[in-house]
Amino acid sequence: MVLEQLATQIGLPEWLLRGVLAPLVYPGLGAFAAVALFIIWAERKIAAKVQMRVGPLYVSRHLGGALQLLADGIRIAFQEIIIPVTVERKAYVAAPIFAFAIIAASLAVIPGGPGVYGFSSSVSLLVPFALLGLIPIVIAVMGWASNNKFTYIGAGREILVTVAGEVTLLASLLATAMMYGSLDINEIVTMQIEAGIPGIVVNPIAAFLFFVAALLMTDRIPFDVVLGEQEIVQGPYTEYTGLLFVLNMALDYGKLYALMLLFSDLFLGGWMPFNGVLLGSLAVFIKTLVLMLIAIFLRSVYGRMRIDQIASMFWSRLFPLALVSLVVSAVVHIVYTP
Amino acid sequence: MGEEKSSRPRINLIKAHIDAISAALRRMTKPPMTLMFPDYEEAWPEGYRGFILYDYDTCIGCSLCAQICPARAIKMYRVPGDKRIRPGYNVGRCIFCGLCVDICPVDALSYSYVHDEVYSEVNPMNMDPIDWALWSKRIKEKEKSAKPKLKPVIDEDIGLRYEVTKNVEGEE
Repeated sequence: MVLEQLATQIGLPEWLLRGVLAPLVYPGLGAFAAVALFIIWAERKIAAKVQMRVGPLYVSRHLGGALQLLADGIRIAFQEIIIPVTVERKAYVAAPIFAFAIIAASLAVIPGGPGVYGFSSSVSLLVPFALLGLIPIVIAVMGWASNNKFTYIGAGREILVTVAGEVTLLASLLATAMMYGSLDINEIVTMQIEAGIPGIVVNPIAAFLFFVAALLMTDRIPFDVVLGEQEIVQGPYTEYTGLLFVLNMALDYGKLYALMLLFSDLFLGGWMPFNGVLLGSLAVFIKTLVLMLIAIFLRSVYGRMRIDQIASMFWSRLFPLALVSLVVSAVVHIVYTP
Repeated sequence: MGEEKSSRPRINLIKAHIDAISAALRRMTKPPMTLMFPDYEEAWPEGYRGFILYDYDTCIGCSLCAQICPARAIKMYRVPGDKRIRPGYNVGRCIFCGLCVDICPVDALSYSYVHDEVYSEVNPMNMDPIDWALWSKRIKEKEKSAKPKLKPVIDEDIGLRYEVTKNVEGEE
């Protein structure tokens, strides 16, 4: 493998190189930065296209305004970080950094290609779920530390929404694990490739539930009650400025990136048509990008659901569906296991 | 919790979602109906009333414009070295009614097509006669170097469309 050769050349142990490269380069933060720059531009451009507008244009006209986000980023990087007097200083500054570090850590276990992962374990499917489950707690800390009514409301909503979404997400993950009889993401992908059938064909209900729950967990538009711009400014992120605000804004995109990477591994067969490291990684990357494009396209289709509508939809409609997907998985497991 | 049940019309959920998504996809194929403003401008209608322009040499100093002005945007001034009194103009007060242009006996006042100028202070908006005459020349030049003009057309398919007008000055 490429990484092993590199490790012997530098003289570092391979696990250390993996543990650093995966969360920081690919599939970690480096790849995520490129994805975020493209996705946020694409989000604005697609919404503009649906509403028959033009969208960002004047920064780099020949590229259709693709560098607009870079320009915004530079502006915001030089902006002063204002820390209000009334906030709990340490928690206020540490919370966004901590939340972002959690996302980077969860990207260490999700494979971005054949053999491209930070750590492999026999329960690696549960690790990103557990880590992403920590983020609402950090966001609650953020909302409390900011000492502002909008951030209180936003943090409360985040917790309510996460409780509803995580049950569905966990049910769809467990359905997948049950179907393949394994909690190791790498093993699940190899089993899909050996069978030649991606998981979305075998258990479409689990895939659908995962996608919808991912939309809820990442505050995408039909379920963006946490941010709720018209009601509570920016939810828990209201008081932040400058680079800390950028971290917060990238938080949701980071969650979306991690979950969609997981989706393409679990349900779309990962690096399915290819086996090489480079082509396989590219396949996973493109699948993730397409999934994210679908997720942001939905922004221009739907309005926002009310918070009680979301709760009742997830608990009384999607949760029973999750139980059905577990039954489907059990049947598939019995039929296909010799 | 209320006991009453609201009777909503039953809808097919899956069909509704597919309809919404396909409607969005269909609109993505259509061209945008944006007027690309700084590069193109909307065509002016006939008799458009913008800033009032002043010709110092034609003016006879009759002060009719100052009398008719309902917003008191025009006031008469004494210019040193000139026997006649002359009108001055306050852009901030002008309501673009055009009464002064109508009443002027010698056509020293005229409409322009411009009415977007930016001032960062209040004082420069109040002009004395000589300032007004110089400013009028500048506005006239701005009119000449105007951007291509587009006319909005109602389109059955996409709603609104911008067409290049034929009667653009200097382009015929």
